[in-house]
Amino acid sequence: MASIYIHIPFCEHKCIYCDFYSVVPAETGTEGYSQRQQYISSLKAEIEILAENKSCNESIGTIFFGGGTPSLLHPSEIEQILDTLAAHFSIEAGAEITLEANPGTVDKNKLADFRTAGINRISIGIQSFHDDDLKFLTRIHSSSEAKKCVKDASEAGFENISFDLIFSLPGQTLSRWKSNLEQAVELQPAHISCYSLSVEPKTPLFYMIQSRQAAQVEMERDADLYEFTIDFLSSHGYEQYEVSNFARRDPASDFKCRHNLNYWNHSNYLGFGPSAHSFWINERWWNISNLSEYIKKINIRTLPVSEREKLTAAQLMEEAIFLGLRSEGIDLNGFRRKFSRDLSAENERVISELIKQDKIILVNGRMRLTAKGYVICDEICQKLH
Amino acid sequence: MENIRNFCIIAHIDHGKSTLADRLLEYTGTVAARDLTKQMLDDMDLEQERGITIKLHAVQIKYQSHDKKNCTLNLIDTPGHVDFTYEVSRSLAACEGAILVIDATQGVEAQTISNLYLAIDAGLEIIPFINKVDLPSAKTMIDTVKKQVVDLIGCKEEEILMGSAKSGMGTDEVLEAIVTRIPAPKGDPAAPLQALIFDSVFDEYRGAVAYVRVMEGTIREKDKIRFFSNGKEFQAEDVGILEMQKKRTGTLSAGDVGYVIANVKDVHDTKVGDTITLADNPAADPLPGYKEAKPMVFSGMYPSNSDDFGELRDALDKLKLNDASLIFEPESSVALGFGFRAGFLGLLHMEIVRERLEREYNQNLINTVPNVEYRVTTTDKEVIYVDNPALMPDAGKIEKVEEPFVKAQIITPTEYIGNIMKLCMDRRGVHKNTTYLSPERADIHFELPLSEIIFDFYDKLKSLSRGYASLDYDFIDYFDSDLVKLDILLNGEPVDALSTIIHRAKSYEWGRKLCRKLRELIPRQMFEVAIQAAIGSKVIARESLSAIRKNVLAKCYGGDITRKRKLLEKQKEGKRRMKRVGSVEVPQEAFFAVLSLEE
Ligand SMILES: Nc1nc2c(ncn2[C@@H]2O[C@H](COP(=O)(O)OP(=O)(O)OP(=O)(O)O)[C@@H](O)[C@H]2O)c(=O)[nH]1
Ligand code: SF4
Ligand SMILES: [Mg+2]
Repeated sequence: MASIYIHIPFCEHKCIYCDFYSVVPAETGTEGYSQRQQYISSLKAEIEILAENKSCNESIGTIFFGGGTPSLLHPSEIEQILDTLAAHFSIEAGAEITLEANPGTVDKNKLADFRTAGINRISIGIQSFHDDDLKFLTRIHSSSEAKKCVKDASEAGFENISFDLIFSLPGQTLSRWKSNLEQAVELQPAHISCYSLSVEPKTPLFYMIQSRQAAQVEMERDADLYEFTIDFLSSHGYEQYEVSNFARRDPASDFKCRHNLNYWNHSNYLGFGPSAHSFWINERWWNISNLSEYIKKINIRTLPVSEREKLTAAQLMEEAIFLGLRSEGIDLNGFRRKFSRDLSAENERVISELIKQDKIILVNGRMRLTAKGYVICDEICQKLH
Repeated sequence: MENIRNFCIIAHIDHGKSTLADRLLEYTGTVAARDLTKQMLDDMDLEQERGITIKLHAVQIKYQSHDKKNCTLNLIDTPGHVDFTYEVSRSLAACEGAILVIDATQGVEAQTISNLYLAIDAGLEIIPFINKVDLPSAKTMIDTVKKQVVDLIGCKEEEILMGSAKSGMGTDEVLEAIVTRIPAPKGDPAAPLQALIFDSVFDEYRGAVAYVRVMEGTIREKDKIRFFSNGKEFQAEDVGILEMQKKRTGTLSAGDVGYVIANVKDVHDTKVGDTITLADNPAADPLPGYKEAKPMVFSGMYPSNSDDFGELRDALDKLKLNDASLIFEPESSVALGFGFRAGFLGLLHMEIVRERLEREYNQNLINTVPNVEYRVTTTDKEVIYVDNPALMPDAGKIEKVEEPFVKAQIITPTEYIGNIMKLCMDRRGVHKNTTYLSPERADIHFELPLSEIIFDFYDKLKSLSRGYASLDYDFIDYFDSDLVKLDILLNGEPVDALSTIIHRAKSYEWGRKLCRKLRELIPRQMFEVAIQAAIGSKVIARESLSAIRKNVLAKCYGGDITRKRKLLEKQKEGKRRMKRVGSVEVPQEAFFAVLSLEE
């Protein structure tokens, strides 16, 4: 089962910490509309060109509209894109189709229309339930708008709703973060992603920290907040299945994000739109991160690829280790079959030490991280080969 | 032969030897003006980068004297830094005269004196040349400096040349003085061959290239030559002189300086100081050769990657051909694996060897903290020399430990005497005497433990005298000291490569600083690490490095995987270069930490 990612590179405003590729389009009105239209046609063209050039005969099990702010699109535009995809790929009947939505860009009707267009999972960029946090992050919404958005989404019929939250904001206390988590679980979303704020080079936040206008949270505090998050969510009915991702335990449904699980399982995926990455069998390529360049390429019916890499077996194996460890663990037999390497035997000393320290566990033939292990996941990855 | 002159240029560091050599090359047309670069004999990148001469450099120039004699001058430019004195003394043996350069703005300094004495001992004719008279500050100094030179050499004032190696002023006088004052070489071209190897270099394709001064006899291509030291015989394949490049002449006779290539592929067969003779008509005796250089400091040199031991041995062997003062022997360390303990003439020498190994031989090295060599008498009256602190016997088996002392000579303007006295006392020095070279210039003698001056003494001396004091030192003997072995432990495991031997009175502070430094240098691990300094079983300092609390990238989706993998590859490469002590990973810089311990 393969996946498709669609990048929507528009935002109403650029947040200080963001290093995703997106542009702020010309103000509303016809001009903004025509820019969007042009983009949608390019996107559709890109899908066509790729489908003509590459035989991707796997069925599509998940589609993800990410950004940027995909919820800025009109539901009919989403529908057009999905129609184009359906014309060129075989989309599975129960495919998971996610849309990232930002509070302040949608209302109940629009959400309902997205649903009608085919979206069945909505990921809401809440980030915080505190107005001053939102202000610091320069988000466009307030905490009441965030709550309203959640209510709208569920009234529009969405059951599979996910929240994005950010912790380790400068000066954030444990109690402040705890109140965020409490408000989140009270709303009982199907899924929560909690990200430690990372300071990406060249973002405004990066310069604020460099010039000491903001203080980066120390590792100790960051660790405290993260460990607390894991404890809190697991005791409130959420299962951690990746470093930053938690799904509500539900006997009837599995709320883990299948799209993201595909990334971590090394499944194939195709990405469309500027900066989107694709991975197919053992090749990865990614598009240029520039909207006008992207459109130019499409206009001459050329794939807007910036770079490609063919992964060696060693690189695939390296990725399988860290992707597996940071999510649901590594299936040791599967690993042996795929790479002809016995990971656990070759790293026996390190692994048994980590098991002793309660950072790794072996369950059902899988080697996976414990909560303590997730906290130092990257450190552990460096020790395995 | 009567038109040959063999001479070297000697001086204290930076007094302008290489610049004077430039002028001689230029004036005689050896190098066309447009090809001339600064300090052009300093042909190693390291020499150009650091602006100092490290190796002796021999070159032949042709000069027609005022009385129309066509002369062949073999010039050897020498280094001034005290760590490279061995290059100077080897050069002297190939010459009949020396130009002693004195910087007019600095006057006589420590290596002016020590190099002069070496030249006098070698029986050379000395031509003093006061340099840098173009500098404004030289004006007020010249008379004083002249007087210093007269007092030092015992020459007449008229015999002192003056000029500027920068502007070229005085070059002509220097050349004339070389021709008229330095004697022509003696020797008989028909006598049995005696050629002194004063330097050598290893060429990947042609094997060892020996630089020789022919004292007696003649060597021709195709001759069967013999090395005195080992009796091995080779056929001379390529014989010639040293112009800016090697120039094949096919023959060298008594009085000449040149090179000999004889397909010597085993680096051990050519030894600097050895005498080459002819197999068919051997000389009865070798030339006196050289005293072995006495290494002052020792350090472990280990390949970063333990598998590269063999390669490192090969590189050291080849480098030794070109650096006769380098000595080394294999050793091993628990923390670092197999490597070598190498002896150097000083810290700069050590740094240069390390850099040359890295640049010229592509080696990746870990150096351990340098130390001097100790003389230990055990309780069963055995006397052993310990050049690696890790090999110090247990305290219980030691009757006494002695450390090398040097006689240090410091020449300084009188205003800094107070500062210098204090510095020497802090370094456990014993004041011997102070004499005055002039009312403004003192010559201070101290006896100091060598270990106290090898690290930062020279830098301190320079900074507290605003660059004016200079230092020279000579080994005297081993003397009793209250020395202890300080061990470093990481989570209870001793790190042999970090052990030091130190005076008891300084051990506590040293231990504290070292622990603190290590805490900075060792990255946090998945567990807490105790860093301890101990004397025997007594812990005298402790730092703890807390465990790493969090290290995980928050987001890793489809677009992040490649970047993440590349980062991880880099991190793993970094880890591979670390050394393991128990389960603690220690970066290579840590083994050299001591050198950056500030006061
Ligand atoms: N003004 C002036 N500067 C000079 C003169 N001679 C040399 N220098 C400068 O003094 C510095 C040292 O000159 P070098 O020729 O490298 O000295 P050196 O004696 O060969 O030094 P080492 O080989 O390292 O001992 C350089 O910056 C030269 O440019 C001179 O006659 N006048
Ligand atoms: S809304 Fe999201 S994508 Fe847009 S700027 Fe803010 S963080 Fe970036
Ligand atoms: Mg020089």
